[in-house]
Amino acid sequence: MVKLNSKSPEQMITEKHVLALREGFHRWASLELGKMPALGDARWTADLIYANWVQAETGRPPSNGLNFQTGNSEGGFDLLDFKFLPESKWLPASQEPDTSIPLNKRAYDKKIQIPIPFYGGGMSYGSISEQIMLSRARAAKKWGTFTSTGEGGYPDSLVQYKDNVITQIATGLFGVREETIQNAPIVEFKYAQGAKPGLGGHLLGDKTTMAVAKIRESVPWVSLFSPFPFHSVYCVEDHRKHIDWVKATNPEALVSVKVSTPTDVDMVAVGSYYAGAHIIHIDGSYGGTGAAPEIAKKNIAMPIEFAIPRVHEHLVKEGIRDEVVLMSSGGIRTAYDIAKAIALGADGCVIGTAELVALGCTRCSNCERGRGCPFGLTTTDPELSQLVDPDWGAERISNLYKSLQFQLRDILRKLGLKSVKELRGRKDLLIYRGNHV
Amino acid sequence: MLSFDMATNQRREQLVNSHSGSAGVYHRYHIETRSAPNLYPSPSRFLVKVGKVGLAKLIVTELVHYRNWKVVQSRPCLYGVFSGPVGGFAPRPKYCVGCLRCTTQFPDFVKVLKNPERQKLGDSFISPDQVDTILYETSTGTVPVRGAGYRGKFGGKGWDGMWTDMSEIVRPTRDGIHGREYISTEVDIGDKPMSLSFDAQGNPSGELPRAFPIGVPMIFDVPPASVQTQQYFSILQSAASHVQTLVVVPIKPMLAYELPSVSVVPLVSPTEQSELKRLSISPALIEMASWDKRLLDAIHEIHPKSLVALRMEYGEDLLKYIDSGIKNFHLVANYHGMTRDGRFVLDAIRDVHDSLVKAGVREEVTLIGSGGVAAAEHVPKAIICGVDAVALDVPLLIALQAKLHGDCVNISSQVELPQNLPSEWATQRIKNLASSWRDQLLEILGAMGMREVRRLRGEIGRAMFQTQLEHEAFAGIEGYHG
Repeated sequence: MVKLNSKSPEQMITEKHVLALREGFHRWASLELGKMPALGDARWTADLIYANWVQAETGRPPSNGLNFQTGNSEGGFDLLDFKFLPESKWLPASQEPDTSIPLNKRAYDKKIQIPIPFYGGGMSYGSISEQIMLSRARAAKKWGTFTSTGEGGYPDSLVQYKDNVITQIATGLFGVREETIQNAPIVEFKYAQGAKPGLGGHLLGDKTTMAVAKIRESVPWVSLFSPFPFHSVYCVEDHRKHIDWVKATNPEALVSVKVSTPTDVDMVAVGSYYAGAHIIHIDGSYGGTGAAPEIAKKNIAMPIEFAIPRVHEHLVKEGIRDEVVLMSSGGIRTAYDIAKAIALGADGCVIGTAELVALGCTRCSNCERGRGCPFGLTTTDPELSQLVDPDWGAERISNLYKSLQFQLRDILRKLGLKSVKELRGRKDLLIYRGNHV
Repeated sequence: MLSFDMATNQRREQLVNSHSGSAGVYHRYHIETRSAPNLYPSPSRFLVKVGKVGLAKLIVTELVHYRNWKVVQSRPCLYGVFSGPVGGFAPRPKYCVGCLRCTTQFPDFVKVLKNPERQKLGDSFISPDQVDTILYETSTGTVPVRGAGYRGKFGGKGWDGMWTDMSEIVRPTRDGIHGREYISTEVDIGDKPMSLSFDAQGNPSGELPRAFPIGVPMIFDVPPASVQTQQYFSILQSAASHVQTLVVVPIKPMLAYELPSVSVVPLVSPTEQSELKRLSISPALIEMASWDKRLLDAIHEIHPKSLVALRMEYGEDLLKYIDSGIKNFHLVANYHGMTRDGRFVLDAIRDVHDSLVKAGVREEVTLIGSGGVAAAEHVPKAIICGVDAVALDVPLLIALQAKLHGDCVNISSQVELPQNLPSEWATQRIKNLASSWRDQLLEILGAMGMREVRRLRGEIGRAMFQTQLEHEAFAGIEGYHG
C-alpha cells in the first residue's frame, strides 16, 4: 500500500496502480495464479510474455517450465532449433563467449562496437511516452548499446544519453533538426518499416498531443501520416545523396539504412552498401508498430527469417559481406530468435516489442486508440505515462538484456563457439523441426 | 456527378459503338461512406468476471487506507468496463478490448476470458476475427488500423501462404491512399482484342473493343437461395449501382422483382432463354449459367449490345469457349474457395491465367473469380494470381449481420438475414465494405508503387509464396526437405 504522507490524490492514484501492476507482473509470471486465459497469441504466447517478465525482473530465463525460446506461430524461428554439441564438447562454463559485434566494418569512419549483438529499434515520441524513451536510453547507456528515436523528434531529456541514441530520419522528417543529427553517433534512415512496408508512419490524432505536435512541428490532434517513400529519393543514387547530406552535417556519424523486406531486398541492400551505408537494417513483416493498417501487417513483404539469408548470401556473392553490418528486426522476441537470426546470416538484431513486453505490454494491440496504452507504454497521456518510472523501466530492460546475453552465451557455449561473430551465417548449426507447407 | 448508369452507358457507347462518344465529365471515383453501426450487438470479444467479495474487500481496504473516494474510485480500465452505475460489481464486457490491465492488477478477483460465443462467429472458412473485421469495416467504411505487430500464424495454406511485394525506393506512385496521386481501381469487363486493324482510309476494320469499366475489381455474386429475396436483391442492386459495379441475379427473380438496371447482370440458364425478351433494357453484361450455343445466339440476337459471360467451374478448358466467341468468364469455386477437384482457388486461378497466357489470349478475355474471398487482402492476392476481378458472396451477408447456419459453402447453404432489415442501412453497409476493401487495395497498390489495379493482374512477380521462400531460406538446414 502507498504511504499517504501529504500526497495529492493524483499521486496516490498513480502509486496505487503502479504498485498493483508491478505486483501483478511478478505474481502472474511466477505462475502461482496459472495463466491468464486471454493472454497471448501465436507469435507472442502467454509463455513468452511471462518468460519475458521473469527475465525483466531477475535477469535470468525462467526455470518454472515456461517456454522462453519459441512461440506457436508454426513457422520461421518457431520451427528452427540448434544442433547443440554433445555436452562433453561444450565450452567450459568458465569460458564466456564474446557477444560483442562491431557496427562499422568499413575501413574508414569511427569504430563502434556494442557488447551485445542487439540494440533498441526506433520508437517515436508520440508512439511511446518520454518515460519509455528514457527507460530505453538509460538501459542502452548502461549496456553500451543503442536505442533509436524513431520518427518523432528528440526530446531534450534524451540529450544526456546522446552517445547511445540513434537519430532516425524517416520520410516525414518529423523532429529532424541539425542538432539531433549532430548529436548522433549513428543516423538511421528509415526507408520503410516491416509492419507497414510501403505505407509510411501513422500517428493517429488522439495521440498527437500538444507536446507531440510541438516536437514534430505539426498540428495538435491531427493524424500524422508520413509519406512514402522519401520524396527526395527516386533511385538508389539519390540515396547516396541522403548519406552525403548526413555526413556533411555530422561527418563522424555512422549511417544505418532501415528497409523492409520486398522480393528485391537483396538488391536494395547492395545499393545501400554502395551508397555508403555502414549498417543495413532489414525489418521483416512481423515487426511491431504503434499503428498500422491490419492488412499491411500480414500481407506485405516477407518475414525476416526469409529475408536474412537472402540478403546475407547476396552480400557474400557480391564480395562485400565483410564490409557492411547486417542488422535484422521484425519479430525478434527471444535470445533464441537473435541467435537464429545470426545463424541465418545477420550480424545482430534490433529489438522493440520485447522491450515493451518487459515493461508490461500484453500485446493487446490497442496502442493506437484514444489515450493509448493502458499500461503507460505507447501513450503520451500525462497520467498514463506516469505508470512507468524511467528508472524502473531501465532496470527491467537492462535485466532483459542481461538474460538475453546469458542465453546467447549459453547457446554459443553449447555450439562450441567462442564468439557470436563465429555464428554468423552458420545455417549448418540449425535444424528444422517442422513439416513445411 | 455521373451516375453509374450514365457513366457506363457513355463508356459503353464510346467503347462499343462509336469511338466518338462524348468524353464525359471527369470525376474522381469515390464511394460515399457513412457510419452504419451494427443492428444488434455482436458477441463481445471478451468476458469479464469480477469476484464481488474480492472487490468489496478491496474497496473497504482502500477506503480505510486512502480515505479519499477519488483514489478508491480510480479503476484500471480506460475503456469503461467498470464505469457503469455500480462499477466493477456489474462489469460491461462489451467495452473490453482485452488489454488485461484489470486482471494484471487484480489477479485474485478479476478474470478476463475469451468469449466462447464469439468463437462461433463465421464458419469453418471465415474465422471469428475475419467476421469481426468485416463488421468493423461495414460499420465504419474505414481501414482497420491497430497497434502492435502481427499476431497470427506465420503463414499457412491458401492465401495465408502468400505475401504481396512492395517497392522500397524506385516507384511511380507516392504516398499511397494519403497522397495526391490517383491510383485507379477500375477494371474493364468485356471483349478486348489484342490489336486494332484499319482499312486504307484509316477506319477500323476488324474487331473492336467491347468493354465497360467497373469502379472496383469486385462484383457481387448470386446469394444463397435462402436469402434470394426481393429486398436483398434490391439492396445488392442499389449498392452495386452506388459502387459502380455489378451484381449477378438469376433472371427470373430479376424480372419478378423488376430489378433491371445496368448494374444487374442476369444469370440465364439454357432453359430460361425465353425470359431474355422480357428484359426491358439490354444489360451491360449477361451471364450464361452454362454453355449453350443456342442461348448465346439468342442473347446476341435479342440484346446485341450486351456483353456475354460464361459462368463455369474452375478446371474446365476455356480455350474452346474462347474459340466459340466467349471472352468473359465467371469462374466459380464454392464459398470456401474449393474447386470441384479439391484445390483452393489460388492455385486454380494461377492455372487458368497461365494457360491463357501460354495460348496468347489472356489480354483478350476477362476473368471474374468467385469463392474463397473472405477478407480485403484476398482481393489483391486473387488478382495477382490472375483474375481481373473477384465476386463477393458470404462477406456481403456477414456485412448485414446474417446468421450462418453451419458452414456456408454454396448456394444451398442456410443463411438468415436479420428480421426487419432496413434497406438503407444494408445498402450503406455494403457500400462501406466496398469502400474499406478498396482503400485496403489502394494500400497494397500504393506499397507496390502501382498506379492502377489493371497492372496487378497476373503479376506473380509481385507476390511471394511461403513454399518458395522457405525453400530458398532453409534449403540445406538439417530436417528441411522442401
